[in-house]
Amino acid sequence: MSTVPLRQTPEALPPESAAQKFQRLAALWRAETAYVSSTSDLVGHPAFLEIVGMGPAVVPLLLRELQNRTDHWHRALRRITGADPVAPADRGNIDRAAEAWLRWGKEQGYEW
Amino acid sequence: MVDLPLEDVFPGLRGQRFDIKSPKDDAYNCVAWAAGDGGNWWWPDPDGEDHWPAGVARAETVAAFRDAFARLGYTPCDHDQLEAGYEKVAVFALAGRPKHAARQLPTGRWASKLDLMEDIEHALHDLTGMAYGSVMLVMKRRLTVPQGEKAAEGGS
Repeated sequence: MSTVPLRQTPEALPPESAAQKFQRLAALWRAETAYVSSTSDLVGHPAFLEIVGMGPAVVPLLLRELQNRTDHWHRALRRITGADPVAPADRGNIDRAAEAWLRWGKEQGYEW
Repeated sequence: MVDLPLEDVFPGLRGQRFDIKSPKDDAYNCVAWAAGDGGNWWWPDPDGEDHWPAGVARAETVAAFRDAFARLGYTPCDHDQLEAGYEKVAVFALAGRPKHAARQLPTGRWASKLDLMEDIEHALHDLTGMAYGSVMLVMKRRLTVPQGEKAAEGGS
């Protein structure tokens, strides 16, 4: 008489921290938008939208990324916070946008 | 950033000659590069986050891109071959939405900034595919410096 093997129940994964979730989504976004020029495609990507959906908890992580001058996270900060600290003359200048957001972060009391 | 083989994203480059001409840089994109601006991200986003020529519609249409390059002195033309005394830009679109812009070099080859990634020199239609679509608009303008000097600037 044969026996049915017990199914192995996968162990529950530890919950993902906000930082881990952000890094996972950011890596996916980078991988899938590396050759994208369209801003609407960049900000419409599901991983980007999920990062924005993480809300204020992710703001320090985004500021840290901007401090290291990686990626276009000013776009996510604008959508999460509703703030717009980039001067009109600096629209499109990614370095100046990052600088403006870092100033904004300090003024708002964020630590990253 | 990631290191996907370019040929995986642009199958038309497979087996063709293309040259990577710059390190990766996300400070400027293909439209800026085609427009001769290596310091800004150009896009007609409706939120106004990116650079776009004043007075040109912020719309993801070939017409808006035509108008943007017209501000730089380009006029539409009917072919992408090298013409003495002119420089050209080309706009790629997919399903009517612009996806990419490239500019012609004095050699007749084309320079493209692959957005968050590198600049490459390539044959124009080798970028045709699912990522950027195909060339929907070619424009030209008179060179303002002698061709010889321009060629020297282009490096190659």
